[in-house]
Amino acid sequence: MLFAFDWTQLAQQTVIGLSSGGTWALLALAIVLIYRSTGVINFAQGEMAMFSVFIAWSLVHHGLTYWAAFFLTIAISIAGAIAVERVVIRPVEQAPVLTVVIVTLGLLFVVDGAARWFWSPETRTLPNAFSTSPITIAGVAFSWQDLGNIAVSLGLVVLLWGLFRFTKLGLALRAAAVNPDESRLLGIRVSWMLALGWGLAAGLGAVSGMLTAPALASFDQNLMQPVLLYAFAGAVLGGIESPLGAVAGSLLLGVFVNLVGTYVGWIGTDLRLPVALAVILGVLLVRPAGLFGKVSARRV
Amino acid sequence: MRRALGMSLWVAMVSAGLAVFLFLPHFVSDFHSRDLAQAGAFFIAIIGLDLLTGYTGQISLGHGALMAIGGYTTAALIVHEHWRDVWTIPLAGIAAGIVGFVVGLPALRLSGLYLALATFALAVAMPSLIKKFSGLTGGSQGLQFLESSPSQVTGLSGKVTVLGHTMTQNHFLYYLTWSIGIVGLGVAWLVVRGRGGRTFRSVRDSEIAAVSSGVNLAWTKTFAFALSGVYAGVAGALYAIQNEIVNPLSFTVSISILLLVGAVVGGLGSLSGLVLGALFVEYLPTLSTNVSTREGVPDFIYGAAIIVVMILLPTGAGGLLRRLARPLTTWLYTRP
Amino acid sequence: MGRGIYSAAAALGALAVATGASGAGSATPGVTPTSIVIGGTIPLSGVASAYQTVGKGAAAYFRYVNDHGGVFHRKITYLIKDDQYDPSQTIQKTRELVEQDHVFAIFNSLGTEQNQATRPYLNAQGVPQLFVASGAGTWGKDYKQWPWTIGYQPNYLAEGTIYGRYIAKTAPKSKIGVLYQSDGYGNELLAGLKRGLGKKAKLIVSKQSYDATDSDVQSQIAKLKAAHANTMMLFSTPLFTIQAYNYSRKLGWRPKVYVNAVSSASNIMGIATNATDKKQTEGSISIVFLKDPTDPRWKNDPGIKLYRSIMKKYKGVQPNDVYNVYGMSVAHTFVEALKKAGRSPTRTSIMKAVTHLNVHNDPFLLPGIVVRTTATDRFPLDQARLERYHNGRWVSFGGLFRIR
Repeated sequence: MLFAFDWTQLAQQTVIGLSSGGTWALLALAIVLIYRSTGVINFAQGEMAMFSVFIAWSLVHHGLTYWAAFFLTIAISIAGAIAVERVVIRPVEQAPVLTVVIVTLGLLFVVDGAARWFWSPETRTLPNAFSTSPITIAGVAFSWQDLGNIAVSLGLVVLLWGLFRFTKLGLALRAAAVNPDESRLLGIRVSWMLALGWGLAAGLGAVSGMLTAPALASFDQNLMQPVLLYAFAGAVLGGIESPLGAVAGSLLLGVFVNLVGTYVGWIGTDLRLPVALAVILGVLLVRPAGLFGKVSARRV
Repeated sequence: MRRALGMSLWVAMVSAGLAVFLFLPHFVSDFHSRDLAQAGAFFIAIIGLDLLTGYTGQISLGHGALMAIGGYTTAALIVHEHWRDVWTIPLAGIAAGIVGFVVGLPALRLSGLYLALATFALAVAMPSLIKKFSGLTGGSQGLQFLESSPSQVTGLSGKVTVLGHTMTQNHFLYYLTWSIGIVGLGVAWLVVRGRGGRTFRSVRDSEIAAVSSGVNLAWTKTFAFALSGVYAGVAGALYAIQNEIVNPLSFTVSISILLLVGAVVGGLGSLSGLVLGALFVEYLPTLSTNVSTREGVPDFIYGAAIIVVMILLPTGAGGLLRRLARPLTTWLYTRP
Repeated sequence: MGRGIYSAAAALGALAVATGASGAGSATPGVTPTSIVIGGTIPLSGVASAYQTVGKGAAAYFRYVNDHGGVFHRKITYLIKDDQYDPSQTIQKTRELVEQDHVFAIFNSLGTEQNQATRPYLNAQGVPQLFVASGAGTWGKDYKQWPWTIGYQPNYLAEGTIYGRYIAKTAPKSKIGVLYQSDGYGNELLAGLKRGLGKKAKLIVSKQSYDATDSDVQSQIAKLKAAHANTMMLFSTPLFTIQAYNYSRKLGWRPKVYVNAVSSASNIMGIATNATDKKQTEGSISIVFLKDPTDPRWKNDPGIKLYRSIMKKYKGVQPNDVYNVYGMSVAHTFVEALKKAGRSPTRTSIMKAVTHLNVHNDPFLLPGIVVRTTATDRFPLDQARLERYHNGRWVSFGGLFRIR
């Protein structure tokens, strides 16, 4: 055979790309949520998710069942993020975007440091929400975990869509982010809306971390650092204002970096992060609104 | 009368600054001059970042990558082309300036947070890119000047003679870096003082207003990026010369964050406080490990210090200095 | 270059001695009648801070020695500086230790690139660079060029060679797939594997690298499987090693696994076993030279008991981390060398001591391992045993062998 192309390999690498992208999608959702509800990007989002994973680990370690720990962690993360927002973001609420960005960078170190301080750096594991037993169809292997992660992302997209579309709270969140001054006139407590946005994003981040940790088999304090860049790239690819876009973008990105790594010999598997960078740059240049975002004129 | 007084006060302050620059090494230990030289390299990069972010409002979280371009240009010229280390500095500046210009082109279409994201991604991806071009960059090992071309390293014998003055290598690095830093500060001052500064600031404050008053937006923005790149490149070159190596692990995203923190602490949109910003980022990590070496605590303190400074001093040291000096300047510049 | 004397620093050193409390009249920096100051760099902050137990374990052992009289009545002060795993900072902090803190020697600084960065400076200065915490081969091999430098642990090239020879001998029909980290550590293990395989190097059917800052190696493992490998070499750090076991099981692929010593600690293997279905780790092969504190076979071993008591008394962190044991072992060797270096040690005499080691009583190493060096053999720890993972624990097989 002249062209003995390994179709199974192509399919397998695509499925693996979906599997990786499925974990990035969850953090990408958190980034989209905070962007939509507060208008900023939280560079500490990944580290906060990592911190949530350690909380979950401690809860499981103290004998809670997996699901109890899961939901308790989400609750703690939401409450914790609201508190953090009140303490460190509120004082700079009126400040330029750059100031807020720097504060979130400071927060990145604080959260990372706290996690290293409270928990030793040894390798840990978190139980799986879904079965990891392999399933093989036509030579292509995957697991329930992969499907589960993607299903959770899509479920959360529906939830977010419903929140922003049908609830007063969602409307208030959006209004507060888009036009704080007018929202204030309408009686929306803008400052609290921002805090709530932080809380919800951290809740999503917690889910993301708690599903990423078992997907990567084990974790330590560096868990979410590479994931953050991929999540940024996925969110940008899908459109940073679109939850569905964030999930689709992350899945696409996962497939893209894998196929490029597999079939473009020069790039290979150790240049995945620069490929993600190229995706971010390419999308921002060609179509800044992303694949799923609405192209809208921005006020200058 | 008061004008003249103001003028002489200004001259006095500049002279005092120069005197500190000239004599400081004689009041601290020899090693300390080296520490200060490293702060000087950060200072230069921070000036460039302030020109970009403070004056034209373009956020860069990727200046460490531009520093890497400068550092690696210097290293490649020393190791592959056998240049003397100090003579590589101009070329390192030019190389990073060109890269800055290229980065500035896409930046034209990106504003605010998007630019922050794109430059952040650049900073994260830089070490892998450096490692990939291992023929030029030495891969994960990096390039080591003392090992491969010791004769190009100034001060190898421990003594350096410049214009008839003999000094230690650490003093030489201090004077080299901070002389360039002072020249760089002067150039920046000239750029932002007159029409150039007004153009820069108009881009930052309102692009529409800037365009309608005849500012060439594209040119101004890319020029700011290129100029900023030159500063970062020179800083990277000096950083490499001081350490006598370059390595991908030295140009991770943390150095980009460090520079931005330095610029913000120094005070964006003013040049007076940037020295303090540079000293802040140079000494903060050491100070935080002095508090406790318990794992995590240094990172925690580092981050907390950044947040506290941002909350208490949103305009940075520059803003604080201006506020402190306000009664004086008001008095000086009001007609009696 | 070799004679390059940094007269400035030398003069400063002399000054410090002249003004300092050096009653013994010795011109050796860092040594007084009651104390000896050494220092090293370890990442205390940032992404690599998990390695700091290498330094903290050593520090705890020195405290133990100091409380038992020190060495020739001198207490050892071990200064640890944070280099954040950044070689530029390693240089800065190492110079600080030498020029400002006037240490006697640099000891146990961590990282290959980090120590390569400081080596020319330390050798030009004539400052001993002792027991580098890195497995690169260069520390023992290149002593002619760098006489003031010596490593400690078995080197990666040698370790890779062992696996290569073992495969060539016992399974010459293997198809080998390699997962390796794209830096000095991964590359050197891979080079060793090829060296050990010799003419059989073509048994390697696929080699896949990953970047240490990336998130997962799922794609790499699938490529190894697609190349029809039946043997997998894991030249990867612990988290990626656990992933490799996990993903190969997910792909329904069960190769024979060789796992490098960095990642073969019992707690790591335990996690990998629990994350998979037990069969995935069964039969894995590695080498071992330290007593792993979580390995049940050392439960009543006097060395591990001493280790645990030191950890408890001096409030060590992570008593299950084998890197603590490593730190104590290297500190133990330093103390032995210091005893050999005489009542008034100099930088020259400590170099002579560390190149003429013959330590039989290191309680933290496998029984029978001798820490031995000569003027031309600069690999202090070059003995190990092969071990096979069976029923959830490591079982050593074959005798001690020297790895080169």
